[in-house]
Amino acid sequence: MEAFLQILVNGLLAGGIYAVVALGFSLVWGIMNIINLAHGAYVMMGAYIAYVLFSSFHLDPFLSIPIAFVVMFAFGYGIQRGAINYVVRAPILVTFLLTFGLSLLLVNVALLVFHGDIKGITTSYNGANFSLGNVVVPIAKLATLGAALAITGIMQIFLTRTKTGRAIRATSMDIGAAQLSGVRVAHLYGIVYGLGAGLAGVAGVLVSLSYSLQPTMGDPFIIKAFVVCVLGGLGSVEGALVGGLVYGIVDAIGSQYIGTGLSDAVALAVLLIVLIVRPTGIMGKATA
Amino acid sequence: MSLAVVVVAPTAMLAPAAADDATIVFGAALAATGRDAREGALTKDGYEFWKDYVNAHGGMKVGGKTYKVDIKYADDETNPQTAARLVEKFIDQDHVNFILGPYGSANSASTAAVVERKKIPMVEGNGSAEKIFSQGFKYTFAVLSPARRYLEGILEMALAQKDKPKTVAVVAANDAFSLEVAQGASDYAIAHGLKVVYNNKYPADTTDVSSIVSAIKATNPDVILNGGHLQDALLLQKGFKEQNVAARIFGYSVGPDTPDFRKTLGSVAEYVYGGTQWSPTAKYKGAAGFIGDSKTYAAEFEKKYGHVPDYHNAESTATCLAFQYAIQKAGSLDPLKVRDALQALDVVTFYGILKFDSRGINVYKPMAVNQIQKGNLVTVWPTGVQNAKPAYPTPDWAKR
Amino acid sequence: MAATAPPSRVTRAGGITGNRTVFAIACGLMVLFLLVPLAHNGYLENLVRGVLMFATLAYGWNMIGGYTGYVSFGNVVFFGLGSFTSAALWQHFQQQNVLVAIVASCLVAVVFALVFGIPILRLKGHYFGIATLGLSIAIQEVIANIDWLGGGSGFTVRQIEPFQIYYYAMWGVCAASMAATFFVARSKFGYALVAIRENEEAAAILGIDATRMKVLAWAISGMMAASAGAVFAGANGFVDPPTAFAIDNNVFPIVMTILGGVGTAAGPLVGALVLTAINETLWTHFPQIHTLFFGAVIVLVVVFLPRGVLWLLSLRGGIAGYLASVKAYRV
Repeated sequence: MEAFLQILVNGLLAGGIYAVVALGFSLVWGIMNIINLAHGAYVMMGAYIAYVLFSSFHLDPFLSIPIAFVVMFAFGYGIQRGAINYVVRAPILVTFLLTFGLSLLLVNVALLVFHGDIKGITTSYNGANFSLGNVVVPIAKLATLGAALAITGIMQIFLTRTKTGRAIRATSMDIGAAQLSGVRVAHLYGIVYGLGAGLAGVAGVLVSLSYSLQPTMGDPFIIKAFVVCVLGGLGSVEGALVGGLVYGIVDAIGSQYIGTGLSDAVALAVLLIVLIVRPTGIMGKATA
Repeated sequence: MSLAVVVVAPTAMLAPAAADDATIVFGAALAATGRDAREGALTKDGYEFWKDYVNAHGGMKVGGKTYKVDIKYADDETNPQTAARLVEKFIDQDHVNFILGPYGSANSASTAAVVERKKIPMVEGNGSAEKIFSQGFKYTFAVLSPARRYLEGILEMALAQKDKPKTVAVVAANDAFSLEVAQGASDYAIAHGLKVVYNNKYPADTTDVSSIVSAIKATNPDVILNGGHLQDALLLQKGFKEQNVAARIFGYSVGPDTPDFRKTLGSVAEYVYGGTQWSPTAKYKGAAGFIGDSKTYAAEFEKKYGHVPDYHNAESTATCLAFQYAIQKAGSLDPLKVRDALQALDVVTFYGILKFDSRGINVYKPMAVNQIQKGNLVTVWPTGVQNAKPAYPTPDWAKR
Repeated sequence: MAATAPPSRVTRAGGITGNRTVFAIACGLMVLFLLVPLAHNGYLENLVRGVLMFATLAYGWNMIGGYTGYVSFGNVVFFGLGSFTSAALWQHFQQQNVLVAIVASCLVAVVFALVFGIPILRLKGHYFGIATLGLSIAIQEVIANIDWLGGGSGFTVRQIEPFQIYYYAMWGVCAASMAATFFVARSKFGYALVAIRENEEAAAILGIDATRMKVLAWAISGMMAASAGAVFAGANGFVDPPTAFAIDNNVFPIVMTILGGVGTAAGPLVGALVLTAINETLWTHFPQIHTLFFGAVIVLVVVFLPRGVLWLLSLRGGIAGYLASVKAYRV
């Protein structure tokens, strides 16, 4: 039982990171219909921002979250206005390829700048933990989960309570009507993609606390983001959170009881079943 | 017509680097991008160090003639398919004389098939899975000890301590090298009366090992051994600390040797053991023709590259040395004669003995054990080469 | 700025099999490729064998993604299954005949497509894409855990002499895929696929058994990719899960098909040739940063030629026409 509780805790803590990674991915996909393969590269960039700030200015990674968000937001906004907007109405494949090319580009620039060495952020609380009975909870990962919850809350408020947020949601429902009512779609798309990149950057900062840094570090997160989005439903903020946590737990339980070597396969089997039984996700609305 | 231009153009633009008479040209496909970019760079430094040394000391005398040496590199993108294609290109297009191996077992396996077909000898120092050599290949030689021996030294050392461990947990990444490492370790443990209480594998590109850490903790082993790569080693060691896993020995096949491991983990890296192919404290007396002892090699290397060589650097230099001694012995650049000389090679270098069994594996060189003590990497086993005593057993996390 | 979304038909140049002249050129290319081994240049042979392999994969993707409109992100699963079928035939049955390997791989692909196609092809749009991607990753991991298939360490495959056999086999597989695409596209079946792509509900009203057609298209697509994998295993001499399910083998064929023209019979071959030439040139001249350049090339091509290279041939109205049709995708 204790062993099971520990695994549940492990899964929940890992799930927090997956939720933040998936949140930005889900927004971009849900609102603009873009499968953003560069998302992993943005996660990597966020992690390196945290690394540079930590190694040059000893800035705690949790404090570099807003900086990473702003930098990556601006970067994402620029990418959307400068490239993606040119083909945003093309068939899905075109944007798929564009973001794949971007990802190659960014990962290789990072490789030139930072080389292939593995880097890490060693904070004073690195590995610190506390125990609840026999269940051990690492402090950094708990704080990560807390940050994930906070960010999800902020995003939810932004999308439902602010003018821009409402315009974004209106555009995703009916782009024509939104344009008629004076929404500048090109600008708005820039904001959405900027948010996606910004959230990826934040995820990167959080990832950097428990994972080591390498230019290719973002790749494994893309498939996780996919799965989380499908589990939670596209473009839904609370869906990404629930999906992320569910994924973390399924992954942890699967690797414990079915085989560590098969953890991805188990998660993907769940994905396939969910897709087939309920194609709009666990939390998704019944839309096509 | 336009086709011919398109296809041939990129190839024709290459100036064929046909080895001019006075140069021996080697080809090496090394990762500059992709997962093994870091290790690819370490390998390249090892090769370059040898090349510059030989050229600075007047080149190589072969059959009464003096040659300069040159190495052509290309990026294999950490992709075995690309590595094979590059080696084929080196041989057919660039007409290199010999092939220096790529980094990693998968890439060594795919290139071994090519050199076998082309009958051009390849020596490699960074692919230790014995699977590569199970096909009866005649043109591939490996200077490094096979994968299954990586962690044996740690167990051997543990068994020589006063308070011997009784139980072992082994966990490996699911790839050829790591699985052989784990297999070798668990075989050795069982043969020496230790009980293997946990033996499992995880996907090679895993991002979360907390479940594995919990499972290992539940079995409460005395020794925890990992067959894997740097990224997994970092994740696991962090995970052990996060979940307060206690053991007398934490041992890794790859990781503790690289400076990245210590830099990234800080105090969490203390007391960790690593199997190593070579250590700067090794006390071999090498044959003439190259730096003969490890100390000088390490010092010269550091002068040139700004860091103490790790075993990837050393085994890569040794890869070139195998060619150097074999070519000189053959007295010819003929691929078949050099191959035969490699098969008959028996020479001691700063890196240890270079001698191959009938499969082409260097089973004659022992492995050493390193440990991280107070932020420094010291060699603790075997007793003949140690520069520090093993700090055993590893204390509780609170006391590190 | 109020651009109307262009019909997906625009992505094709010419009729259902594409521009006739282009197809004739592509056939000429294939004939020329037959002569490559006579040059006795292993590098060139290897390079063109790569073009043929990617073209075959692209034909496979084109069948389901191009003609049927079901965008698969996981067709590499068939390539991987084919590779492992071929490797297992050698490892366990000492069977080295390339033709046997191809046939066996096709059988495996068909069974796989039938078992998974029926549930997965119910999914639409991105969801189908993700399901296929997930499937390919899951199958890779499952294979990595089956010791009989070499587990995580993989298999070495003994190569047969003369080595050119693999070149001709890859050529044959590519030619067969090209011919199959040509004939399927002109058949009633091909029109049914296009009808499904343009409007699946309308196709159903016309009496097209969409599920059956889709599964059949996926099976054909899978057979193409699996045969390429079967030949690859022998030619490479080594197969392990990361090699057989490489992300390159998943993404490049899609890039190539788009570059050459989606839903045409010549596009995949032309795209494979162009992209390989670009990649090889970059690699030769910028060894350290060729992947970076490659990424940049993809970005530029997508932004400036979102409908492929061959689309330029059928373009009317010069620069103004070009700008007008590129602008159609802008927001």
